[in-house]
Amino acid sequence: MNIYSPNKVTLTKIIDETSAIKTFVFRPHAPFSFQTGQFVELTYPGIGEAPFTPSSNPNKKDEFEVTIMRVGKITELFHNAKVGEILGMRGPYGNGYPLDDFKDKELLVVGGGVGIAPLRSLIYALYGRIDDFKKIVICYGARSPQDIVYKYQLDEFKKQRNVEFRMTVDRADNTWKGNVGIVTTLLDKLPLDIKSAIGIVCGPPIMMKFVSLKLLELGFAPNNVYLSMEKNMSCGLGKCGHCRLGKYYICKDGPVFKFQDIKDMWDIWD
Amino acid sequence: MNNKFVYIEAPSFLKLLDSLAKDYHVILPVETKNDYLWQSYPCDFQFSKYRAVNSIRQFLTPCVESMGAYFANETDNTKPFCIVGAKACDLSNALKIQDYVFLEGDIDENYKKMRETNLIISSDCTSFKETCFCLALGIKPYPEELFDLNISELQEGYAVEIGSSKGEKIVSENKTLFKEIRSLMLSERDKKRNDTVKELAFQLSRLNFPQKESLHNLMKTGYENALWKEEALRCVECGSCVMNCPTCHCFLLFDTKDEKGYFKGRIWDGCQYKNFTRVAGGASALRFREYRLRNRYIKKFEFFPDRIKLYACTGCGRCIEGCPAKIDLRKIFTTLETTQSSKI
Repeated sequence: MNIYSPNKVTLTKIIDETSAIKTFVFRPHAPFSFQTGQFVELTYPGIGEAPFTPSSNPNKKDEFEVTIMRVGKITELFHNAKVGEILGMRGPYGNGYPLDDFKDKELLVVGGGVGIAPLRSLIYALYGRIDDFKKIVICYGARSPQDIVYKYQLDEFKKQRNVEFRMTVDRADNTWKGNVGIVTTLLDKLPLDIKSAIGIVCGPPIMMKFVSLKLLELGFAPNNVYLSMEKNMSCGLGKCGHCRLGKYYICKDGPVFKFQDIKDMWDIWD
Repeated sequence: MNNKFVYIEAPSFLKLLDSLAKDYHVILPVETKNDYLWQSYPCDFQFSKYRAVNSIRQFLTPCVESMGAYFANETDNTKPFCIVGAKACDLSNALKIQDYVFLEGDIDENYKKMRETNLIISSDCTSFKETCFCLALGIKPYPEELFDLNISELQEGYAVEIGSSKGEKIVSENKTLFKEIRSLMLSERDKKRNDTVKELAFQLSRLNFPQKESLHNLMKTGYENALWKEEALRCVECGSCVMNCPTCHCFLLFDTKDEKGYFKGRIWDGCQYKNFTRVAGGASALRFREYRLRNRYIKKFEFFPDRIKLYACTGCGRCIEGCPAKIDLRKIFTTLETTQSSKI
């Protein structure tokens, strides 16, 4: 079997999240498991493939979910796919979140836009071993109330003991009663011991940049801030060259990096 | 006498090629207007004085290649290549880099098969081009490793060095074509080699190219050097430097289909192209030409030395020769060195 060949997956369910975002449920034909934070290459057979990070519970073995925003050719094809279609998938690739290193720590999880998708997988994984962590604060920022994903689950996520769940939207409408402002506005007065707390950030590059800088300003250690650096991985195996920046292959050495390790790299935010 | 060497007369060598052509797709460099281009045997043949215009990368990972059918099975029955006349700058660091990329960790089966089944009959350079600077990277203008057989032209006939068990096998299967080598022949070979080295060293002495050991550090200290922008301004993004480089390996996977099913394909790609790092939505880490130019040098003189203690450059000069904008690797490093010392 060629290392670049995808395996079959059946699309079993499509969940509409927002006007531009859908969650796809896939049943892999061959045994498949992943660690939260790892990514897969999804193939639209005969047309092309693109990298995505599963948004589902990594402990769920028979199916996995990927939340996809419609932004280009491949994502458009996935958005037009029908339940029952057979598509391709290879992976998982990359390193994932080092959950064991988070043990007995206080965690801050910050998601922006569709960046909450990989973090939902992380949230499932954290909730599955909630007693391992002292405290978790989750901050989620969406552009508007209409852009919020996983609306049907957020209440459930908020109910978890030991967890504080904060939300904001950049622009409110008259239905919105919560916070208004970009996601960094949620980061004041964190009930955490900042010096030893772990920050985990995922979102658009510009959001990750400003959240990271804010966390450092608040006193987080550069070694304790984790970023999910998605680039245009083609092979996912550290061979094709596309996602290498400086000394790292994002696909193999990442996609999860400590801020400490990438802070000196020019253009990491682009 | 050293059994690593044998001798073959020129007419016998042609017979050897005929014999090899039964099992291999024999390709060799053919002279056209002072340059050498790879052609399939049978064709008029003489050993080339210096490297061919293109590297041998195309015979390890073809420019466009099927990575096989998926959701199906596929068989392949093409002949392996016999690459005749590869030069030291096609082997050495070049093969080591390609091997590292495609064989370390997850094994690329297509590449592995090419490496295992291809035969490499390399040859010494007896001259060099204006752009040749292999010595500056510590590579001699004659192959010292990674060949199956190496040919050194003598006044009459060729000295043949056996470099692998595959080469050994070819010699024993074609025993009648080879003769024992005499020590005079080996002295003649060594003298010719030394003459070429001396002449090339003289050409290089006028360049003031930095010491090989300092290149890695010059990259680190030279990130912000104005030269990246100045040089990149002339870049027309033709990709000649990446397509001709023996150590470049970047590719793009693509999907296609025909009546038989779905295929994954691979096509050469290069970091000098505008959309190399573009993601859906439009962001691109290497969005400026100067970022892309610098990125190529970081990969070759910082990334690979950090990973496997090897510069991804063999001094073949193909990137210089092919560049319509006259971006010159040698000049980039001499400038990085001189402008650095002037800052201090």
